This record gives sequence, C-alpha cells and structure tokens, in this order.
Amino acid sequence: MHQSTRVAARWIEAVLLVAVALVFVFPFLWMFLTAFKTMPEVYQFPPTWLPETWQFANFETAWSSGPFLRYVINSVLVAIGVLIIQLLTAVPAAYAFARYRFRGRNFLFGLALIALMIPPQVIFLPIYVELSHMGLINTLWSLVLPYGASAFGIFLLRQAFMQVPDEVIEAARLDSASEWKIMWRVMVPMAKPVLVTFGLFSFIYHWNDYFWPLIMTNSDEVRTLPVGITMLKAAEGGKQWNVIMAGNMMLVLPILAIFFFAQRHIMKAFVYQSK
Amino acid sequence: MQKAVVANSANAPLLQQEVAVKAGRLTKVRPYLYVLPALLFFSAFFFIPILYIIYLSVFDWSLLNLEEMEWVGWQNYADLLSDADFHQVLLNTMLFTVATVVLGIGLSFLLALWLNQKRKLVAVVQASVFSPHIISLVSVSMLWMWLMDPQYGLLNALLEFIGLPAYTWLADTKSALLSLVLVSVWKVVGYNTIVFIAGLQSIPKDLYEAAALDRSTRWQTLRRITIPMLSPTLFFLLITNTISSFQVFDTISIMTQGGPVNSTNMLVYYIYEQGMDYYNGGLASAASVILLGLVGLLTVFHFWTMRKRVHYR
Amino acid sequence: MKKWNMSALACVVGLTALLTGCGSDKAATGGNAAAGSGQQSGTEQAQPVQIDFWYALGGKNGELIESMVKEFNDTHKDIVVKPAYQGDYYQNHAKVLAAISAGNQPDVTMVEVGSIGAFAEAKALEDLQPYAADTIDRYIPGLLGNSYWKDKLYAIPFNRSTPLLYLNRDMLKAAGLDPNGPKSWEELHEYAQKLTKSEGGKTSVYGFSTPIDIWFYEALVIESGGSILSEDGKQLAINSEAGKAPLEFWTNMIKEGVMKAPPGEKYNAWDVAKQDFVNQKVGMIFTSTGDLKGLSESAKFDVGAAFMPANKEYGAPTGGANLVILAKSPDAEKKAAWEFVKWMTDTPQSIKWSTQTGYMPVTKEAVESEEMKKYYETAPNFEVAVKQLEYAKARPMVPAYKEVQEIIMTELQRAVLNQATADEALQNAVDKSNKLLK
Repeated sequence: MHQSTRVAARWIEAVLLVAVALVFVFPFLWMFLTAFKTMPEVYQFPPTWLPETWQFANFETAWSSGPFLRYVINSVLVAIGVLIIQLLTAVPAAYAFARYRFRGRNFLFGLALIALMIPPQVIFLPIYVELSHMGLINTLWSLVLPYGASAFGIFLLRQAFMQVPDEVIEAARLDSASEWKIMWRVMVPMAKPVLVTFGLFSFIYHWNDYFWPLIMTNSDEVRTLPVGITMLKAAEGGKQWNVIMAGNMMLVLPILAIFFFAQRHIMKAFVYQSK
Repeated sequence: MQKAVVANSANAPLLQQEVAVKAGRLTKVRPYLYVLPALLFFSAFFFIPILYIIYLSVFDWSLLNLEEMEWVGWQNYADLLSDADFHQVLLNTMLFTVATVVLGIGLSFLLALWLNQKRKLVAVVQASVFSPHIISLVSVSMLWMWLMDPQYGLLNALLEFIGLPAYTWLADTKSALLSLVLVSVWKVVGYNTIVFIAGLQSIPKDLYEAAALDRSTRWQTLRRITIPMLSPTLFFLLITNTISSFQVFDTISIMTQGGPVNSTNMLVYYIYEQGMDYYNGGLASAASVILLGLVGLLTVFHFWTMRKRVHYR
Repeated sequence: MKKWNMSALACVVGLTALLTGCGSDKAATGGNAAAGSGQQSGTEQAQPVQIDFWYALGGKNGELIESMVKEFNDTHKDIVVKPAYQGDYYQNHAKVLAAISAGNQPDVTMVEVGSIGAFAEAKALEDLQPYAADTIDRYIPGLLGNSYWKDKLYAIPFNRSTPLLYLNRDMLKAAGLDPNGPKSWEELHEYAQKLTKSEGGKTSVYGFSTPIDIWFYEALVIESGGSILSEDGKQLAINSEAGKAPLEFWTNMIKEGVMKAPPGEKYNAWDVAKQDFVNQKVGMIFTSTGDLKGLSESAKFDVGAAFMPANKEYGAPTGGANLVILAKSPDAEKKAAWEFVKWMTDTPQSIKWSTQTGYMPVTKEAVESEEMKKYYETAPNFEVAVKQLEYAKARPMVPAYKEVQEIIMTELQRAVLNQATADEALQNAVDKSNKLLK
C-alpha cells in the first residue's frame, strides 16, 4: 500500500516534470513545425499539428530573401572579434588585479564593477555620436569596440588567477621567465575551464544581440543575423510566419546545437555571474 | 559575484620578496600597463559616454544638426517630467519591472526547490527550462508574437480547445503589457532557477542535519535555513533582474512598438524613439540620464548590501 | 610559447584585416569626401561613381526595385548604384537621420511624403531645382504636392499611391451586393453589415476592416470636407465636425460588430488587415494602391478596387514615397544620384513599376501611353488610383507633422479601444500637437 502510493507519486511527479519542460521547449517545437508549413496551412484555425507536406522551400525563401551568408559571417566575425579583444584586455587586467598590489587598485577595480552593472543600452546615444565622430558607424568595428573590455571577463579571470598556487609562479620566476610570459604561458593555460566558460558566454551574448547592430549598421555588408531576420517581413498578403520561423531557425539552431553538446559549461557560464 | 567582492583582494597572495627583488621602474608601472587597455576601453565606451550624455541632456539638439546645439538648461527634464506620455512610460517600466521580477523570481524559487534533485530526468528538465535564456530575444519575440496571434495563434487555439474564450494578448491596452511580462518571465525563469539551485547546493548539509535532529518541519527548515542562506542569491537576482527589465527593448521593438496607445512603451524604447525617430536628442538624453540614475541607484544599493553581507531573516 | 603568441597575433591581424576590409569598403561607398574630390579631377577613365540608394519596400516590390537598379547599373557604366533595404518607412527615416549625423548617409533615399518637410527643414536634402529645370514638367502635377518645401524643390515622386477600398468581389456577389462596391459612407456601412457573418456570438467574417492609421484618417477627414491642419499649418484642426465624423464612423461600426480594427502597431496592423482580406476573414479593407499586385496575386478570389467612399465628397491623400538626394553628398555623387533619380522616375521605368506593383505612374507621358492604356483595359483596378487623383490632396508636411501624426494615431486608437470618447481623444491630440506645431 505504502509502496504503491510512493510509486504513484513518483509517476505523477515525472508527468509534471515533463509538463514543465514542455512549457519551455514546446514553443521552439512550434517554431520548427511552422517553418515547414505552407501559407494556407499557417492561416488555418484551429491549427494543424504536423505540416501536411513538409515544405523545405520556406528555408530557401528565407535564405534567398537577403544576403544571409553575409549576415552569418558578420555575426561570427563580430562574436569572435569581441571575444578576442575582450581576452586581450581582460587577461592582463585580471592578472594585475589578482597578482599585484598597487596604488589605486581597489579604485580601478571598483570602476570595472560599475561597468559590469550598467548596460550599454542606457548610453547608446553618446556612444553613437562618439563612433560617428570616429567615422566607425556602419562598420563591424562599431559592433566590436564598445564591447572591447568585459568587466565580467576580468572578474572571472581574476578569480581563476587568484587560485593558481604561488609555487607555480615562483617556479616560473626562478626560471627567469618574464611576467608577460608567465601570464600567457603559465596562468592562461591553468585558467582554461574559465576561459571556455567565458568564451561561451560572450559568444552567445553577441551572436544574439539585436539592439546594437540595429542602431549601428545600415547596410547589408555589416548587418548581423538578428537584424537580417527582422527584415524578413514580407509585404504581400500579411506576415509569412512560415518563412519568418524558417529564418529564425538559422538564428536558434546553432545555439541550441552548442547547448546540446556543452550544456553543463553553458549553464555554468551564465550562472557564474551569481557567485 | 558577491563572493568575488566580499573575498576582497586583501588576501590575494602576493610575492613580496619577488617584488622587492625585481623592484625596478618597470615593476612599478607594470600593473598599470596591464590594466591600461581595459581601462582605455572602459573610458571610451563607458565613462566618457556617461559624462557626455549628462552634458547632452542640457541642450536642445538632434542627430541631424549636432553642430547647432542650443543650451536649454533643465528644460528637457522639466519637459519630460511634465509630460503625461513620459509618466506613462515610467509607469509602464515600473509595472513591467515589478511584475517580471516578482513572477520571475517567485516561480523560479519554487521550481528550484523542486528541481534541486540529482536525477537524470530532472537534469533534462533543468536544461529545458534554461534553454530560452540563451536564445536571441529576436527569435523569442517573433515566436511569441506568432503564438499570441489573436486569430491564428496557438495560444488562442489551446484556450479554445479547453473551452475558454480567446484572449486579446498584444491587441489590447489591458493585456499587452502583461503579455510582454509573460514573455520576459518565460525567458528568465530558467536562468533564475539554475542560479537558485546553485545557491541551494552551496548551503552546508550539516545545517539541514541539525534541523532534522531538532525535528523541524519542512516549512520551518525552509524559513529558518533555506531562505536566509539563499538571501545573497536572492538579492543578486533581484538586482540583476531589475536592471535587465529596465532596459527591455527587443520585445517592444518587434512585438508592440510601444502600443497599443503607448501601453507598452518603456524607457529604452522611448529613448530610441525620441532620439532616432523624432529628432529630440535633448529629450532622449535627459531620459537616458534618468534611466542611468535609476540603474545607478540600484547598483549602489547592490554594492551596499553586498558589503554588509546581511542574511535577512 | 613563441608559436602560441605568433598564432594569436596572426589571428588578431587576420581579424583586423577582415573588419577593416568591410569598414573601408563602406567608406569608399559612403560618400567619402576625399574620394569625391579625387573623382572630379580625374579623367574619363576614372572609376565609376558609386552611390548608395536606400529603399523601404520589402517583398516583391523590394525585389523589383533591386532588379531596376541592376538594369540602371547595366546601362550606365559610369555609375554604380548600391541599393540597401532599410525596413519600413519608419525604420528608413530613423536610419537616414542617424546616418546623416554619422556622415555615412546614402546619396539617394526614399522618403515618405509626409516627412519631406521635416527632412528639408533640417537642411538634410539637396535643392533639386538646378537639376530638374527641364524635367520637372514631365511629372503629374497632382503628385508634386509633397515635393516642395518653402518654394524649393526637394523631392521627385517615385512610388506614389492613394488609399483605395479593396473588395472581395466574390463575397459581394454572394451577398447580392454591387460588385463595384459602396460609393458612400452609408453604403459602406450597409455593405459591411451585409457581409458580416456571425454565429453564436462569434464573428467569423467581418464586413470591413482598416488599420487605424493616420493616412486613412486623413482620407476620411478630407471626405468630410475638413483638413488636418489649419491653413497656416500652425494648429491641428481635427477637433471639428470633419475631424470627429471619421472617428465616430469607425467606432460605430466597431461597436456594431461589422468592422474589425486589426491589432498591432503601425505596419503590423496593415499586415493583419491584408492577411485577413486574403484569407477571406474580411470582405473589404482600406489599403494602398501599391498593394494591388501583391494582393491580387495572393488572393484566390476576384479582387476589386474602388474609390474611397465619399462622405460629403470623394477624397484621399496622396501617399507613398519620393526620391530625395542628400545635401551632404559630395558633388560627383549628387550628379550621379540625379541621373539615377531621373532614370528611375522616367516614363519607361514608371510604367514598368506601376504595372508590376500597383503604384501610380508618375509621369504624364506614362499615364497617357498606349502601353498603360492597354494595361488598364485588362486590369482596370490599376487605373482607380489615377482616377481618384482628381479628388486627392497632398499630405500635410510641416516638419512637426512627423511626430504629430503619431500623436493623432495614438489618440485615435485610444478612442477606438474605448478608452476615451471621440471628443476627449481629439482634444488631447490638439493640445499635444499644437505645442509642437508652433
């Protein structure tokens, strides 16, 4: 009796768990299903679950309605460019904060803290004016440079560097390695898990970003994928949800694929901020 | 981040002798040199823009004629604060933020208590709940706009299926803001949940063992141990969720464009509209400064509470 | 370790090259002053002048623009036009504005006719009088109303439209109504009642639908014998009989359940109206003549187009966009830009554009051409807008109107959504707008 209620409770919990998961996953499934339907089927009510015939043509329509290859390349260039510059600025700064004592250290560290909290959306106007004075509007630089220093990256790396045992560095110094070498050759490899974590976080954030490229770009040569996809709105006879959803799959699938393989890392990357 | 700050840098292992041995000029400037690149970026794209926006907010200007800025003092602020539309924008931002934060944190707290288990199925559910968080808001917005389509959308089909009347979603002033809240909560709940679970797992087990010995009820354990021990996490989420709610833009821009009748117009979108659509650079800057002030206040509050490291009871 | 550093360096250098590659490419096309002056001193073998052209039409209409630009480039070896789609009119305007301040504005762009005044007043546009002295007469005078600002010519008509009443003729016939559609507001109301189908309190088909858009409101105000602005353009004149009539007309039909106000802001509402029409969920809608081709092709029924029904009189605002040249462009680009504008709006192109979209031809020659006349015989819907032009007026174009029209639209929506009475909403609009119009 007792045993059987426990089993029942376990089953009920399992069903509820699946229900919760569906609330978050099913919308993506709906995106997927819509992307394969025909226009008349999309505008059918109540809707059909599975497409009557699977329309791969929607992907073709979406892909050919703009220079999507260019958008993808730009998105990748920006996300990777940001990451490289962030690492080049964050590694030395984190090393200094973690390993040196110098006048004004806490003050400078505090400045970085503030930068962590205030989102760039709040100050896009002056940055726009500034970048336009530099003649950088509508270049990929305008998407990369404002994110060149990552306070979050500095934090993560500083923590990782602080955990490296002193002996390791002492040994390196006795080998008369230069500080620069120690930083890149000894410290960075030891912080590898953190680097992966930060890399995933940064890449996903910039791959997904819409606001910044919307403001800063005005030609296809430098547009990124999220902006390109919002241009999919077709004029004739209402919104082509099937094509729009097909376009969005291009934006969503790579991230879901990465997530599938690096779930633990990614969840750690995003949650790290809270620690 | 609390721990990083709290742990503070005082105990960072320093190699005093080594420093002394190599005490040359380079050693003295080296830390500054290392910090410099990051600092330059922060200055150029963070500190200078902050000062610049404050400066811009006391002029009447537009992107069309930056050369002809006209000093107007506090006029932009006075205009904003006396404008009924701006009041509505502030109110919308507040309502949206409070609703998103309360729902987002409340739901995820419950989920975290439930999902804090080491089972395969639960791990999958955790990942599922988390997945919206890493998806672009562009896709999330378009997807939900489609789901919420009043005529052909899946949500109304489901409502109809279970015998409820169709809902207006984004089409009505009464429901549009709530619909945006729903989307934001859906997107953030997974993140909050995982953060809470991490917090739960860092609570020392012996506290619970002691509670069990005391024959505490589940509710007592929750109230006396779990919630106080989670308070830093809770605070972190409160602040970050609030700040990110303040800057909502993508969903508005794609789903509602501030409508119907300004019922979903919020600060960042308002700034965008004034600055980019209506040529009112001055008003846009003043609104930015106000937003900056709000975020700044929260940040200061955040640091202050972290410094005190209070466990709220 | 050296190796690691080297590869990192290579990576950075490579990236830099890629990023600047795109950047400098843009600089060359974005109206770089140095490049411009170099061109002037150059000889005939100089490189072709590159100009940027921004447009704001998606879908098939956008594809047609791209193909016309390609044709221009193929036939003009000394000029290369680079077209770029910037989203709808709102987005395009915002982009142009921002780009002017950044100095990478296009050389030619479409500007919605109601915003020409705002752009001209801000000195963003090139005065076209010196260029157009001998070509201006070719355009239909009724379409030049939004081309001048303070007696200077700033814009050339391109994709020009008027609003029309679109009809699902099959549906009208089935209901025993005249397939040519209603001629007056009363008839429109009556038709809407007869076309509406509801069962058990649920409406499956609405007789009529229109986005609560400023453009249609302007039409209905004109039809009621009024105008949006006072004569001097310094006051909003809609808190009047003529301003109230349209709003009451709409709200009455909505309350009665025979008209649907499509949800969504700005062009989202248009999308819904068109999608409802194509899916036969509504029998009649207001939309632009520029949708004729697209809607006729998407719809599986007989699509009809008719004059906007009359209240006191027929009437409609003209609409669509004009082509403008930006004042900040270097001289060489301006000259090339003018060649492009002239070509795009010339008779052969105008005929092609009109017959493949539904927008009106912009030259007198085009309207009178045999080709057009023959086309009108087979597709009479396409002539409706041209005929309606007789009753059409230019849109208001004082600089503040760009913002004022948003205010009016918000207040109209407020009334339609039952949050304010017509009087309150209109008074609100007047109070807010008059501050801006001063």
